[in-house]
Amino acid sequence: MAAHRHFYLFISPYFILFAVLGLYPLIFSFVLSFARWDGLTELRWVGFSNFVNLFGDEVLLDAIWNTVVLGLMYVPPMLAGAFFLAILLNASWLRCRAWVRAAVFLPVITPMVVVAVVFGLLYDFEHGILNYGLQRLGLPAIPWLLSEHWSKPSLALVLIWRWTGYNMVLMLAGLQSISKEFYEAAVLDGAGPFQRMRHVTLPLMRPVFVFCTIMSLIGTVYLFDEIFVLTAGGPGTSSMNIGLYLFNLSFSDFRFGYASTLAYVTAFIVFLASLFVLRFQSREGD
Amino acid sequence: MMPAFTSAYPNVGVTINMSGTQLQARFMLSLVAGVGAPDVSQLQLQEVPRYSCTGRLADLTLVAAKYRDAFPENVWKDCMYEGRIYAIPWDIGPCAVFYKRDLFEQYGVDVTAIQTWDDYIAAGERILEASGGKTKMLFYPTGFQEILFEMLLRQSGGQVFDENGRIAVNSPESLAVLNVLRRFVKTGISANTQYWSQPFFASFNTESVATYPMAVWFGGFIRDYAPAKSGAWGVFPLPALTPGGLRTSSYGGSALVIPAQCAQKDAAWAFIEFALCRRDSQLGHYRSFDLFPAMTTVYDDPFFDERVEYFGGQQVRRLFTADVERIPAMNRTKDWVETVSYLRQSLGHWSSDDMENPEDFLRALETRLARRLDREVSPRSLSLKAKAHGESVN
Repeated sequence: MAAHRHFYLFISPYFILFAVLGLYPLIFSFVLSFARWDGLTELRWVGFSNFVNLFGDEVLLDAIWNTVVLGLMYVPPMLAGAFFLAILLNASWLRCRAWVRAAVFLPVITPMVVVAVVFGLLYDFEHGILNYGLQRLGLPAIPWLLSEHWSKPSLALVLIWRWTGYNMVLMLAGLQSISKEFYEAAVLDGAGPFQRMRHVTLPLMRPVFVFCTIMSLIGTVYLFDEIFVLTAGGPGTSSMNIGLYLFNLSFSDFRFGYASTLAYVTAFIVFLASLFVLRFQSREGD
Repeated sequence: MMPAFTSAYPNVGVTINMSGTQLQARFMLSLVAGVGAPDVSQLQLQEVPRYSCTGRLADLTLVAAKYRDAFPENVWKDCMYEGRIYAIPWDIGPCAVFYKRDLFEQYGVDVTAIQTWDDYIAAGERILEASGGKTKMLFYPTGFQEILFEMLLRQSGGQVFDENGRIAVNSPESLAVLNVLRRFVKTGISANTQYWSQPFFASFNTESVATYPMAVWFGGFIRDYAPAKSGAWGVFPLPALTPGGLRTSSYGGSALVIPAQCAQKDAAWAFIEFALCRRDSQLGHYRSFDLFPAMTTVYDDPFFDERVEYFGGQQVRRLFTADVERIPAMNRTKDWVETVSYLRQSLGHWSSDDMENPEDFLRALETRLARRLDREVSPRSLSLKAKAHGESVN
């Protein structure tokens, strides 16, 4: 082995880059979470006071609440829609399969700026096409992005539109990995389409569902661009989630210490939540 | 201006970098690092205090002393920290109301009769009614509310912070401003479209909104987005909060600073002095880039008296020079940017609510600012006065 030590040299670039761009910020931000620092003036050690402040932070409370509500609003319909589309695309009778798949996946790769402009036009209170439609039907106009009551549902709609395609691809891969033999065996046992779905497809898709749920969960916590470009967290703090709050704390308010504390606590909570979902699923599986 | 500078200072090389995103973050990072900042940087006036208190900007007090009278005191205020000057004013944003002349004529509204915000709201109601609800008076969406609040608060001489940095937002001035803002919504004269959005810019060409209370630089946006509407626009002075009160305010503007890390401060200063402290330069920026001069001594130039065809032949430049010296200064503190985000959140929340009880709103805002910014409440605050009054009664 000793003679071949030089191979460390060949794998070193990754580790060097990781140390500089990954490990160092990770450690520095942990250190920062015990300090108060605006980046410009002297760093002050404050012990655990950043952690204590988390409990009295009403914006954080709003951000957590918004994250949960937003997650509940868009994740279930998005996953259901993705599953439905995946089944449709998996069906042997479907024509123009590639076109449909591309169309559903397109929102995922659409630049956020374009999404912001298009949805800004759709959602505009005075001249938006949605409100135009509502008013033609004799219904009152809705202040989609400009009211505290509507900002979360409006964002949820955008998120469903944007991320269904991504989950659809994951689920399609899951469906296609289910061996045909299971279905043949089920048919031989006299199972109808409903029973095949209930007893073959759904149980075998469980790992994919769990994966999609965890990814969406983490995605909701750290969601940023959609909110940033459409509402910037407003009106009030009604659409501020944890990701945007973290961004504002650090890059608008320059409160790097407190932001680091929140980032670490959030990462820890996300870790626990993911663990919980995984445990939950493996117990169910037993 | 650049050719003139290079011929005056042939041994100073200048590279101008206007590209790139996140200039703020990059500037901050290079200040922290102590290297990499440009020798001269442009900052928004309201953001200077966040940097000037750090000791990472060069102290310009001595060299700037001879230009003290060329710029108004209220602009210097943003450039100073603890009595020292750290920035030189470039442009300022005196405010007025941009209005659609054709709509006002069509609905028979006389702009000269609009003296106060009460008159303005009454005119808005007239236009709303006469147009059958089609034409609103102004936009008042979230994202603009805090701008209008700051503009009117400054006009009224009110403050968010007192001169010692304590929270002074709970004041009779704020209350008066909130009562105006609230009536924009309650009377139905305000439209709800996101500021700076496509529909917002589109409104320059339509009949949906009649007026835009804004700073002087806003005129450039109007001309860019509505080139065909030349002559159909006009400007009238900002309505006063009380009869006979100040008819202007200020929003925006910028300044140049030299980072303390700069190795060639003399050359950097020569550039700033040439670019900002000379009559020709200040006028040149205004002529070429529509940057309204912070240097008040140039206001006697005939350029200010020219009639501007786009605004119906009005002498709009002269209009914006009115009372610039009398605009009250703001005590911004280093927390200003953060403060504005709380103002935005609180005002947005209030407008989503029913906008009742501005007194409660101010009390809540004061508590919030005091806690978030870790600052004391000013002894002038209405809530402390109310408490003191209660105690003396008991």
